[in-house]
Amino acid sequence: MPAGMNKHGSRSSTSLPPDPMEIVRSKACSRRVKLNVGGLAHEVLWRTLDRLPRTRLGKLRDGNTHESLMEICDDYNLEENEYFFDRHPGAFTSILNFYRTGKLHMMEEMCALSFSQELDYWGIDEIYLESCCQARYHQKKEQMNEELKREAETLREREGEEFDNTCCADKRKKLWDLLEKPNSSVAAKILAIISIMFIVLSTIALSLNTLPELQGTDEFGQTTDNPQLAHVEAVCIAWFTMEYLLRFLSSPKKWKFFKGPLNAIDLLAILPYYVTIFLTESNKSVLQFQNVRRVVQIFRIMRILRILKLARHSTGLQSLGFTLRRSYNELGLLILFLAMGIMIFSSLVFFAEKDEDDTKFKSIPASFWWATITMTTVGYGDIYPKTLLGKIVGGLCCIAGVLVIALPIPIIVNNFSEFYKEQKRQEKAIKRREALERAKRNGSIVSMNMKDAFARSVELMDIVVEKNGESTGKKDKVQDNHLSPSKWKWTKRTLSETSSSKSFETREQGSPEKVRSSSSPQHLNVQQLEDMYNKMAKTQSQPNLNTKNTGHPGKQKEELEMETIPGPTVPLLTTRADGIIDMRSMSSIDSFISCATDFPDAGKFSHSPLATLPCKGGVNPIQEQIRAEGSGTRFMEINPKPEGSHRSTFFIDSPNSSIKASNPLKLRSLKVNFMGDDNSTLVPASNVLRIYPDALKNRGAAAAADSTLLSDRSLVSPETSIYTTASARTPPTSPEKQIAIALNFHDASIHKYIDADTDDEGQLLYDSSPPGNVSPKTEKNHLESAALPTSPKFIGQNCIYSMEGITGKTQGNQETVRLENHISPEVHILPGGGGHANTHDQSI
Amino acid sequence: GESRFPDVDSNGSEKNEDIEIIVNVGGMRQVLYGENLNQYPATRLAQLINCLSGGYDSIFSLCDDYDPGKREFYFDRDPDAFKCIIDIYYFGEIHMKKGICPICFKNEMEFWKVDLKFLDDCCKTHLSEKKEELEEIARRVQLILDDLGVDASENRWKRCQKYIWKLMEKPESSYSARVIAVLSFLFILISSVVMCMGTIPELQIVDSEGNHVEHPTLDNIETACIGWFTLEYVLRLISSPNKLHFVISFMNIIDVFAILPFYVSLILTHLGAGMMELTNVQQAVQALRIMRIARIFKLARHSTGLQTLTYALKRSFKELGLLLMYLAVGIFVFSALGYTMEQSHPETLFKSIPQSFWWAIITMTTVGYGDIYPKTTLGKLNAATSFLCGVIAIALPIHPIINNFVRYYNKQRVLETAAKHELELMELYSGEGKVGGSKNELEDLMGEDKERPSWSRQLKVSHSDTFIHLLSDEKHYRTRLQSCK
Repeated sequence: MPAGMNKHGSRSSTSLPPDPMEIVRSKACSRRVKLNVGGLAHEVLWRTLDRLPRTRLGKLRDGNTHESLMEICDDYNLEENEYFFDRHPGAFTSILNFYRTGKLHMMEEMCALSFSQELDYWGIDEIYLESCCQARYHQKKEQMNEELKREAETLREREGEEFDNTCCADKRKKLWDLLEKPNSSVAAKILAIISIMFIVLSTIALSLNTLPELQGTDEFGQTTDNPQLAHVEAVCIAWFTMEYLLRFLSSPKKWKFFKGPLNAIDLLAILPYYVTIFLTESNKSVLQFQNVRRVVQIFRIMRILRILKLARHSTGLQSLGFTLRRSYNELGLLILFLAMGIMIFSSLVFFAEKDEDDTKFKSIPASFWWATITMTTVGYGDIYPKTLLGKIVGGLCCIAGVLVIALPIPIIVNNFSEFYKEQKRQEKAIKRREALERAKRNGSIVSMNMKDAFARSVELMDIVVEKNGESTGKKDKVQDNHLSPSKWKWTKRTLSETSSSKSFETREQGSPEKVRSSSSPQHLNVQQLEDMYNKMAKTQSQPNLNTKNTGHPGKQKEELEMETIPGPTVPLLTTRADGIIDMRSMSSIDSFISCATDFPDAGKFSHSPLATLPCKGGVNPIQEQIRAEGSGTRFMEINPKPEGSHRSTFFIDSPNSSIKASNPLKLRSLKVNFMGDDNSTLVPASNVLRIYPDALKNRGAAAAADSTLLSDRSLVSPETSIYTTASARTPPTSPEKQIAIALNFHDASIHKYIDADTDDEGQLLYDSSPPGNVSPKTEKNHLESAALPTSPKFIGQNCIYSMEGITGKTQGNQETVRLENHISPEVHILPGGGGHANTHDQSI
Repeated sequence: GESRFPDVDSNGSEKNEDIEIIVNVGGMRQVLYGENLNQYPATRLAQLINCLSGGYDSIFSLCDDYDPGKREFYFDRDPDAFKCIIDIYYFGEIHMKKGICPICFKNEMEFWKVDLKFLDDCCKTHLSEKKEELEEIARRVQLILDDLGVDASENRWKRCQKYIWKLMEKPESSYSARVIAVLSFLFILISSVVMCMGTIPELQIVDSEGNHVEHPTLDNIETACIGWFTLEYVLRLISSPNKLHFVISFMNIIDVFAILPFYVSLILTHLGAGMMELTNVQQAVQALRIMRIARIFKLARHSTGLQTLTYALKRSFKELGLLLMYLAVGIFVFSALGYTMEQSHPETLFKSIPQSFWWAIITMTTVGYGDIYPKTTLGKLNAATSFLCGVIAIALPIHPIINNFVRYYNKQRVLETAAKHELELMELYSGEGKVGGSKNELEDLMGEDKERPSWSRQLKVSHSDTFIHLLSDEKHYRTRLQSCK
């Protein structure tokens, strides 16, 4: 365990930014510094960091004020001398090694693009990358850049068509869509099919025209076109002309249209016809008839170009063209190889065969033909060597031909397959983007704005958005926002954002149907909800990172509370109630410490029909559990304490419970309400609902690195750190053993989920601890019995279980049985998914 | 002292066996035991354990920091690589973690003073591949640096020689050199075309003795081309720094073969008339004409693709042999079979086994001229199988050859950029980097701080991990590099 537990709160928990002197002192007292990058702790000498003073890490030493430090890192803890950076941990190893050794290498599986982003973030020029890694890096980066550029281009082409500056813009746009985008509408599709049919028809007519049986003869004895076929031809040409003209008229950029290769082909397909007509009609008398005929013949040949018009309708043909364009180097190589081979072998065979009687190898150019046919292994047999020497040369020529042709082709094939894959990927990307736009239009974008306004409730909103949205594109968008740096400034979460969103997604994937099916069509009572929020806004004094002044009283109260609890041995039931309430207050403030243990329960409760948000928040299940007991009144009974802090907790809880008790909340409606309400209601909403994000966050942080588990948690936010502080201070009163169990359990449960994917050694290690691999139900009972009587702290840590215990008792057997019934393999799968995302992050 | 090191006043190594140290490598803590560490006394950790009694100086010479309270030795190194390297104390061999750059890992191993031989073979190949690549890069860099070098000390003749050499051999070096390269390429093309045209009967004229000889214009062009080739060769030869090396190099031998036939035939026609009979001379001249084909190979000088081809063929000698062997076996078997099966037919085209070799080759390579073909049913069956076998026999060994070719082709492109990058790096490390961005960081260190001499020194002596030390005199190159830029 590299980074020990934090006994004191992280920087963000202290109300005032630390004094510069304090910072300087903290820096001076150790030669080393702990860098926590995305949950992975590193330790490095200050001296090492000073080697590159202009980079981000180099500046860390010089930053002596709170602001300058916060500019450099995302969070810090002076007591522990630890600085947190919310970045990818995998790349950081390589970067730190650069400071240590002066040589920048790159992890092999690292994506070049993300590595270059990391380099930018840490302020290191990519030029330092060592040659052994540089090649790979640049190759990938160039490739990626190229792909991105191409994608951007196609997008621009698709979206950047402006019709606004000219007359009847929308009509032209419609026409353009109709003619150019067969996927845009049914009519466009039909039009495309008709166009293809015309192309096929005209080519067939062209070929049939050359059949002697179908040709007529004119007055000069020359063969002429069949009149019927000439009509077909005329119709086809008329169609092509019309198509071309319409396209040209509707195109937003005329010159670009004219230059386009596909349009050039179109033009070439129709021009010969008109030129022929022009020539035959006008020049009949002027020029010699024979000459005109020859020219006309040439133009007739050009008609065959219309077969290339098919390229417009086939992406396969287009990618072939693109491949050939891109691999002209290799094509050149192929031709060069062939040319050299032909040259050599034809001269050799010429000298071998020229003394033979009536040889067909009359000269070197004449034997070119033979060499070509042999090297390409076509072998017509019109020319073949007859002398022994000639035959030997011929044999060598065959083998050389096979080799020479085979060599450059794989490179071209590679290019083709890459491009083809890319095209497929692009099509998918475009679809995704379209879905995203649809989602935007449907209104999820509003919640995105809200997220900006209330950064604290970000994760919840994500949940809402994700739950609400069926489209995948939205998720992308959400993730994008996650990664936006502006958010860090607000939330300062320890947990790597990607991992959290990943876990959201995986959980989301696992459960949405359940959630949807469980949610009844009843609608939320908006007025009631609003009232609750308002009430809460008045009474609740919840610590809040953003509003610190309001946060203090509540915090203090809770601290007091936590100190008093471990002291007396209260009767069991009361203790339990206390524990529950405390923990609920804690949880409502910042979720449970035993975040990992939330997993099974979250999963479990998601099966109960009443659970509406179950798969998201670990806290939620409990509340639902209480709700399941009855209603808000029932809740009052559990909350006998008259103290203000408890009152506040009650209020925190009650809105939710009443919301849910009154009607199983439909998520969509919840979201709608949030969006519909004005700001005054939204603020409390964000406060209440922070429960979920915090729970998630905590869980993510804990799972992300079990080694840095506790310190991470303490960095999460002030509320948690209070709690951690309290728990850490417990030892004098509560037996150490209990704490050990608690922690053990903690780790074990985390490990269980990590193990689901990695088969870590940790599994063995933690197997010994009681709850290791037992089913959630037994686990619960076990802990309940073991922990509840003795240590309220412990209850606090595993408050879910205590809560369950209560429900079990208050609800009676029926509830418990139901719960047991609900334990199913899925319970394991769901958290497993979440755990997987986190483990993955860690292992990177 | 005593409380910190339990074995401080004991002098036996047995005590070292019991010792237990905590090492902290870049934030990763690990408890290690003396008995394990002492298995490899040359390694850094074992040395550390053995000099624990030697006081702080010796400890700090081996590790970066020491925390007496926790009795923890701190090393400012990569923890990931360390995790792999300590395997040596437990398993006696080291496996590289997947993803770590092998060169980087090698450096870590050197830091821990673990011999490279402990790296397991499975990971060694990876390392050696990378090393080879770097050597290749170094070689290229050396070439570039060689070209860049201008020594003022050299006399005028030397400088002139160098100038010509660059003009003739390095098309990238200057504009005029490029023009010369293009000219040379054109001459090769023209002479090849002329050679082919000369054999067309329509373009030949009949001389006084009734022989067909080449058209005088073509002859003149040919002479001009040969003149150019000769000039080129002579200039190259004169300017080359190492004459012997020049003469025996492959490309130059081809050059000689391209021009020699012309002069030999010239000599023969002018002088040989007296010594030999005319027909003999003519035959000799005819034979020499074949050698003119060699000029086509001169193209290889101008095409990297052709060089790649030759390299790939050279590298896949084995596979080529395999291909030929498969074909030879197939030819023997099927021609014999074809011959025997066709014997029953009265008008058989298979007159003997050697004659049916030809048929077998043509069939197996799927050329199929149709001059010889089987007529009996059995013979046709045999032909079908021989065709199938031929396809397989060719397709199988050709794959590795293609692989070699593609790999080398891609590598070539990679190496080119890598060499350029290496030069940039060298420039950077030699403190002459361009100012701008974070590139000037190193300069910063050089001038600015007195605290950081170790790093600047390290940087000054350090170079990139590429095998620049393969370059004989690095300092020399650096000064050259600077003088040129």
